[in-house]
Amino acid sequence: MTDKKEACAEGESKENLIRQKRNKKQVISGSTVLSKTYSKWFAVFLLPTLIAFTIGFVWPFLRGLYLSFCKFVTTSDAEWVWFDNYVTAFKDASFRYSFFYTALFAIVSLLAINIIAFAVAYALTRGIKGSNLFRTVFFMPNLIGGIVLGYIWSLIFDGILSRFGTSILLDTKYGFLGLLVLMCWQQIGYMMIIYIAGLQNVPEDLIEAAKIDGASGKKILRKIIIPSVMPSITICTFLTLTNSFKLFDQNLALNGGQPFIFQGETVIKTTEMLALNIYNTFYLNVNYRGVGQAKAVLFFVLVAAIGLIQLRATRSKEVQQ
Amino acid sequence: MARNLEDLKYKTSFGKTVLTLIFGVLSVIYIFPIVIVFYNSFKTNDAINTDTFALPRTDTFVGLDNFVKGMTFGNYPFLKSVFYSIVITVLSVLLILLFCSMAAWYLARVDSKFCRFVYYLCVFSMVVPFQMVMFTLAKTADSFFIPLNTPWTIPVIYLGFGAGLAIFMFVGFVKSIPLEIEEAAMMDGCNTLRIYFQVVMPMLKPTLISVGVLQTMWIWNDYLLPYLVLDRTKYMTIPIHIQYLKGSYGSVDLGATMAMIMISIIPIIIFYITCQKYIIKGVAAGAVKG
Amino acid sequence: MKKIIALFVVCIMVMSLFVGCGKKNAKGSVYYLNFKPEADAAWQKLARKYTELTGVDVTIVTAAAGAYSETLIAEMDKSKMPTLFQVGKQSDLETWSNYCLDLKDTAVYNEMTTDDFNLFGENGEVKAIGYCYECFGIIVNKALLREAGYEIGDITGFESLKNIAEDITARKNVLGFSAFTSAGLDGSSSWRFSGHLANMPLFFEFRDNNVTSQPAAITGKYLDNYKAIWDLYVNNSTAEKSQLTTKTADESLAEFGEGKAVFYQNGSWEYSNLVGKYGMNPDDLAMIPIYIGVEGEENYTLASGTENCWAVNSKASEADITATLDFIYWVVTSDEGTQMMAEQFGPIPFKNAKQTENVFFNDANRDISQGKKVVTWAFNYTPNVDNWRAGLVAALTQYTVGNGSWNDVVTAFVNGWANEYQNQ
Repeated sequence: MTDKKEACAEGESKENLIRQKRNKKQVISGSTVLSKTYSKWFAVFLLPTLIAFTIGFVWPFLRGLYLSFCKFVTTSDAEWVWFDNYVTAFKDASFRYSFFYTALFAIVSLLAINIIAFAVAYALTRGIKGSNLFRTVFFMPNLIGGIVLGYIWSLIFDGILSRFGTSILLDTKYGFLGLLVLMCWQQIGYMMIIYIAGLQNVPEDLIEAAKIDGASGKKILRKIIIPSVMPSITICTFLTLTNSFKLFDQNLALNGGQPFIFQGETVIKTTEMLALNIYNTFYLNVNYRGVGQAKAVLFFVLVAAIGLIQLRATRSKEVQQ
Repeated sequence: MARNLEDLKYKTSFGKTVLTLIFGVLSVIYIFPIVIVFYNSFKTNDAINTDTFALPRTDTFVGLDNFVKGMTFGNYPFLKSVFYSIVITVLSVLLILLFCSMAAWYLARVDSKFCRFVYYLCVFSMVVPFQMVMFTLAKTADSFFIPLNTPWTIPVIYLGFGAGLAIFMFVGFVKSIPLEIEEAAMMDGCNTLRIYFQVVMPMLKPTLISVGVLQTMWIWNDYLLPYLVLDRTKYMTIPIHIQYLKGSYGSVDLGATMAMIMISIIPIIIFYITCQKYIIKGVAAGAVKG
Repeated sequence: MKKIIALFVVCIMVMSLFVGCGKKNAKGSVYYLNFKPEADAAWQKLARKYTELTGVDVTIVTAAAGAYSETLIAEMDKSKMPTLFQVGKQSDLETWSNYCLDLKDTAVYNEMTTDDFNLFGENGEVKAIGYCYECFGIIVNKALLREAGYEIGDITGFESLKNIAEDITARKNVLGFSAFTSAGLDGSSSWRFSGHLANMPLFFEFRDNNVTSQPAAITGKYLDNYKAIWDLYVNNSTAEKSQLTTKTADESLAEFGEGKAVFYQNGSWEYSNLVGKYGMNPDDLAMIPIYIGVEGEENYTLASGTENCWAVNSKASEADITATLDFIYWVVTSDEGTQMMAEQFGPIPFKNAKQTENVFFNDANRDISQGKKVVTWAFNYTPNVDNWRAGLVAALTQYTVGNGSWNDVVTAFVNGWANEYQNQ
């Protein structure tokens, strides 16, 4: 940690950046003295969480992994079937469809939420009147759970669209836009707060200096402000991306994947996202429970990969403070 | 500093006034959905369906009927659900804040392969869909040697399942705390426990708030986990209670549902408004350093 | 790295020690996972009564609406598993077959008056017993019908139904009511058409082909009739076609309850709502079969069947099984039990059943006594029923609002069936 700070002080040369990254990879912490003293306290500090983590996550996760290779009625009543479930999952057109649909939604919502949140944050740090009140209001939707959000918005969309003789359940377009509006409404506030914090970390002297040197507003934004808020961007993109991929409650309550169409012989639920697709697979019939589990594993691998790639990509652009 | 930026860019107060106006309008639109639920909870079922946006009129106004209906529905006392919701949320969040911050500090400070492994496992756990573990989790909770299916013990599960995000955020913040402070404390003869509780933990305050808010929102609104895990002959939570307003073939008492939704979000809105200063600061500080 | 693995292995081993040590109750107790939230309170009351009388513990847990599968999977996995649970249809039976005790020769089975509603295993085992039954058809408001100048006896088949409905529509403004309630395609209402209405073409096709088990494919022989009745519903309804996609079951019920329409396709279970909530006069209510214009349909009465069957958990302990069998025997024979069943579920197929006030069943019974036959619930054979119905509703919705053709409905109906059969 300490030598990281020094490295920073020297400037942003490439070598240092590479060194920093290597350091990050190899040691989370710096001081070996502290490390040694602390490590004796394993039982007090780490063990309680570790036990709960094992009960609440590791063990159920491993059982879940095992079940993805099984045909089962209940989890203690499983029969090993090798890769059958995975083969079926890959063959399932609705799974492939929901994969691309989810990916599209994730990208669009990632852009929409982050751009709007950043713009709002930028405007609210201009010192306008009532910006505290606005912050409070924009953050409020975060307090409401997903199912309830879905109900509220389906009520609103129905109220609006029924005047035009249509419904959110009728058109894939509306389903997509509706979910997008819902997600923006829910998440912009949270992301905005993070961006505001980031913006308040922008070194003012640097901006003043740049101003004096005659740099344009755009240039200041690109060269000074954005790099300084990069940590905020990292965390916001990570959160929005994983949130979109894991989106379930809102999807279920808003339109449940409607409208449905026929592609070949298969029913495609045109606004069904991955998590909902997995959920529905579970209850199709007994042979599909394992398939649902297999899909969940595939889904997990996918989200994990995307999340990690994204973290790497944006972290590398961060400026150490 | 924000003031400084603004001085440079926006010299005219005119621009600011326009922005204030725009945001004023946006805020009203933003808060509208919650307001809709609020006044719909005083309307008859039919009126909610057919005329969603209209304010209650004399013929559609039913006073507190929906609230009474929702709260007296079924044979499980609503206040009991509220009580258990509070117990579960408070206990779980306290547990998570205490143990996850301790664990995160340990993980961030102790340099070993094991610690890194656990840390990455935590990050991984954030992206696992709940559907993948829900049945195995319910099974584990049931067959553990202390039954984890009561409001007093289910926080252990929340600690486990919520550890990923909490540890991820805490580790990020701890890494930004200079080691010198702790080294100095150690020189002064503090033992590890004192270093943590007297030196480190106070510094973690913003992240504690930020994690606390996130977990409170999640646990308070969570439906499927307590539904599958809790012993439902004895315990219910508010989200579970709301689900029971639905009939077996999907008929919903909209008015009662609106009323119950209102009841479930009012405590959290009050909580938010009273501590919003800390919450917003906490979310900001906690997230950015992470 | 070795250390890490070792630690986790230890952790997991410790965990697995605790897993799977369930406890057994020597005395025997009953745990019923109830399907119907509306009946929860009544069940709890009955259970308390039984415990008072016999000292046997009866636990009733009710699954939240639409979550019975999840609940059953989770609960069956627990150390205290349900001893009595609900099996709705053939596909559920296939899932839970290993958990269903053969009920043949049990006291409760011997109390039954018919095998019509029971589900059987491959070798004829009685896997689940239908504990109540329901019937559906077109509910008629006789008072309104009279106002329009007709009597219930005037409706003898599809043609007369159509003529009357269209006549009412033509005079809609003068009369102040419509022929049919809105045929809502919202999730809360669409099963009336993808399930119940679709039962009619399915039933007659199966009748013609003597189908007695789930067919791999269907021909859709009577789909033109299905179209005819659907068109009749939507063209003579209280609501515009375009609004039907979001109309809910509650709205449709309210329209009928408030006298805005003469005909309402639904089942016997709505009786208490109509008479109780909307205060309708039972004498004004009648239920007629859904006529779709198939030859010989006048010889059939209402469609009767059930999706409510009890199965006793064969994996429960001996004592619990005995306690459970005793409990359900008591429910269908005792005064308190049959009273509750009659109030909550209407008629039950047991010898001691209480008379029900529900006029719809009386209509069915009158027809049966006149020699008419019951239309069975052919849709219980539907493969992957949720998916099949979802596809049908999708096509029906698009057809109704004018975005799709009837051919798509036929495809969803016929090809959808074959496809779901393959997939299961």
